[in-house]
Amino acid sequence: MTEVEETLKRIQSHKGVIGTMVVNAEGIPIRTTLDNSTTVQYAGLLHQLTMKARSTIRDIDPQNDLTFLRIRSKKHEIMVAPDKEYLLIVIQNPCE
Amino acid sequence: MSGSSSSGRKSPMHSVFQSKKSISFTEKAKDSLKKGHAGANQSRMGVSRNLIIVPEMKMTEKVNVASTKIIQVLDKNGVDVTPRPLYCADLHAAKPNKLLSSQEGLLSSDILASYSMYQNTMNRSTMGQFTRSALGSSTVSKSSMSTTVSMAEDLEEPSYKHEKLASFTDMRVMRAAPETAITKEDLEKNIEILLTETDTLRFFDLPTVMISVESEEAEKVIHRNNKYETLCRNRAGNDLYVERMMQTFNGAPKNKDVQCDKIILEDQGVMATAWDLYDSYNALELALAAKPSAVDSSSKANALSKDRDHTLPGSATDKTSETSSLMDLESVILTKVHEDEEDHADTIMKSDKFLQDLFFMERVLMENIFQPKLAAYRQLPVLKEPEPGEPEDVLEGEKVEEVEEVKKEEEEEIEISTEQSTIPANLERLWSFSCDLTKGLNVSSLAWNKTNPDLLAVGYGHFGFKEQRRGLACCWSIKNPMWPERVYPSPYGVTAVDFSIGTPNLLAVGYYNGTIAIYNVQSSSNVPVLDSSESPQKHVGPVWQLQWIEQDRGSTGDDKREFLVSISADGRISKWVIRKGLDSHDLMRLKRTTISSNKKGDKEKKGEALISRQAPGMCFAFHPKDTNIYLVGTEEGHIHKCSCSYNEQYLETYRRHKGPVYKVTWNPFCPDTFLSCSADWGIMVWQQEHLQPFLSFYPTTHVVYDVAWSPKSSYIFAAANESRVEIWDLQMSTLDPLIVNIANPGIKFTTVLFAKHTDCLLVGDSDGQVAVYELRNMPSASDSGRGDTINALLGCKSNQPG
Repeated sequence: MTEVEETLKRIQSHKGVIGTMVVNAEGIPIRTTLDNSTTVQYAGLLHQLTMKARSTIRDIDPQNDLTFLRIRSKKHEIMVAPDKEYLLIVIQNPCE
Repeated sequence: MSGSSSSGRKSPMHSVFQSKKSISFTEKAKDSLKKGHAGANQSRMGVSRNLIIVPEMKMTEKVNVASTKIIQVLDKNGVDVTPRPLYCADLHAAKPNKLLSSQEGLLSSDILASYSMYQNTMNRSTMGQFTRSALGSSTVSKSSMSTTVSMAEDLEEPSYKHEKLASFTDMRVMRAAPETAITKEDLEKNIEILLTETDTLRFFDLPTVMISVESEEAEKVIHRNNKYETLCRNRAGNDLYVERMMQTFNGAPKNKDVQCDKIILEDQGVMATAWDLYDSYNALELALAAKPSAVDSSSKANALSKDRDHTLPGSATDKTSETSSLMDLESVILTKVHEDEEDHADTIMKSDKFLQDLFFMERVLMENIFQPKLAAYRQLPVLKEPEPGEPEDVLEGEKVEEVEEVKKEEEEEIEISTEQSTIPANLERLWSFSCDLTKGLNVSSLAWNKTNPDLLAVGYGHFGFKEQRRGLACCWSIKNPMWPERVYPSPYGVTAVDFSIGTPNLLAVGYYNGTIAIYNVQSSSNVPVLDSSESPQKHVGPVWQLQWIEQDRGSTGDDKREFLVSISADGRISKWVIRKGLDSHDLMRLKRTTISSNKKGDKEKKGEALISRQAPGMCFAFHPKDTNIYLVGTEEGHIHKCSCSYNEQYLETYRRHKGPVYKVTWNPFCPDTFLSCSADWGIMVWQQEHLQPFLSFYPTTHVVYDVAWSPKSSYIFAAANESRVEIWDLQMSTLDPLIVNIANPGIKFTTVLFAKHTDCLLVGDSDGQVAVYELRNMPSASDSGRGDTINALLGCKSNQPG
């Protein structure tokens, strides 16, 4: 448990990280460093995108599965680690 | 022409015919039905007789009672094939003939004439029989009565002709109007009528079925045939067969309305995706597989089920397979846990998968942060981040920027390549491994993992006796330069680390107090797997160097066996073997050597109270080719060449250094050359056969802690003394180092280590940082890595006193 907390704390404090969110399968935030409305928005949108991405991967090969999703945009990069139970979302600004 | 052909066969018809003069269809309705038919028949026959000469058919006329002729058709064999009439007029039936009744007043001779004329112009093919009969009747124009009768006959054709007649009569009616009155003379005129035969129309064809007389059914068939013949004969006037017309009643339709509740329709769609099908089919299999795989992974992991299962951080494919098995494990675990709303969040936080995901996430973040550095490390092209442009003209602006950047890069590259000779070789600092844990500690040793080139073991511990503090051994991964993967703290300073070759997950750590511990880096526990602290043969002085050696046991035919060799300040070189615990065996005890026996005459210094007869060993190096031979550097400054076979005597002793020899290392390309560094500020290059070094360097007045040969070139080596890191290139110059990197004040460089496949150098310092430098613009060696070239170098330098 503490290891999880430590790692999460480290991630939150890394350079360029704008926000970190852990959201459960229903979209309710468990841990977040951003405000609630933003969290809910991110959670909802990324959940759908993750479903679509996973569906794509598994359509091509049903034995495959999605493990990580990265979306790089002009302003920052959104990284999603999806799971059946939760979504781990980190938003980072990679420009030094 | 059969003028009298219109008369029927039977005599009563004839009499009736003659008695009537006027056109009266109704009167004739009864009788004329029959005779009309017969007459029509006859008239038909008459026509055919007259017109066509059918060579095979003989047509004879049957003369009737009065003057009528009865037609009989005989084929060539004389068989009567006269077609029987399909229809027999019924004398008794009283058929209402609508047509006839309607035409009562209309018909007159002129109409008849016009009718007949119309008949002539008719399309014969459509009218067929009717035509013939009509035409036949029209030729009897001489007597109006005959035409009348024929008309009547024609009109009384079987019912199917009545419709046509209706049309006819209508037409006739229309035509009749403009016509002028036809006189009797007109009627009695001879009119030429041409008759032609139409094609035979088949209305019904019942093919004959032939049955052999001898067959079983023959009798039945014959009986049936006879019955039929009698029937036909009797049919004419039989009461059993009556033709009637019936009118059916159609049910009157009625509309009925029914009202019901609105049927609510809903659309529901499912997309049948390939993975959905796969899941449904394999749901059972997955559930079954989860249990054995959970057992497997837990046994392999050698840890508690809740602990992190880590393979050596390496290939991503291993990760995914581990992840899937972990997921199964995780699902099995989760199903056993009661899930309330509050517990759910905790479960997520505690889950292994979550930990894994966090781990990955951290790595990914690191990758983002350190991307250019890591790319430089791995010698990949460095990605240039496009600058976040203005919102307006973003696309174009960025494209232009990118193009410009690319151009600039190209220009720079061109410049670099042209100026390569002018830009000196330098060390570019990429990043450094450091974190809060390691701050302030002194890096004492570095070691790469043998199978995973990204994994680095770093030992932290102070060298001096007075500076002793707690120590730390960490495993760092290139992929995460900000936090170590494994942390093994200990109360004593760590002085030596090394990864095993055969079992790459074993890390041997030597401590300042002489103990050696072996950790399994695959597990996340901090407890060493093996410890020598309780071994009776443990070292009592700091273990200054550890190395895993693989030795061929060629004589006994066994596979390569691996053992750990340690050297410590208590003067012993021990070989440790893992056999139910650490078992040690002394390879050598280092004795203090006296001064070389040049001066034979001198008395040896006896009686000198030596604290210990052992000479503390500082370092050792096994020969890369022959693992029986190794070099030992002692605190006395001597370098001994020893063999595993002899544990009492040295093979050779190389004396030159004045202070403790901190490092000896063989040249990886040239098997006879080795390098040594010592606290007497000197670095020396030796050759195995010569007891004197042929090159020695005294670059600074600082202690040289570490030297290392470059894995890429036999001329290049790196040296770390207190204040700076030097890269020497013997090909370029033996007087000055090629690159000098000066340390920040207050920080001493203590260790150096080359990275194997990249042009990078790791330098550990006294502040707990391991900096990664990239060697840039190194002069390309003409023959790097060839042993004979350094021999050439040696050859020309061997004259020098060194």
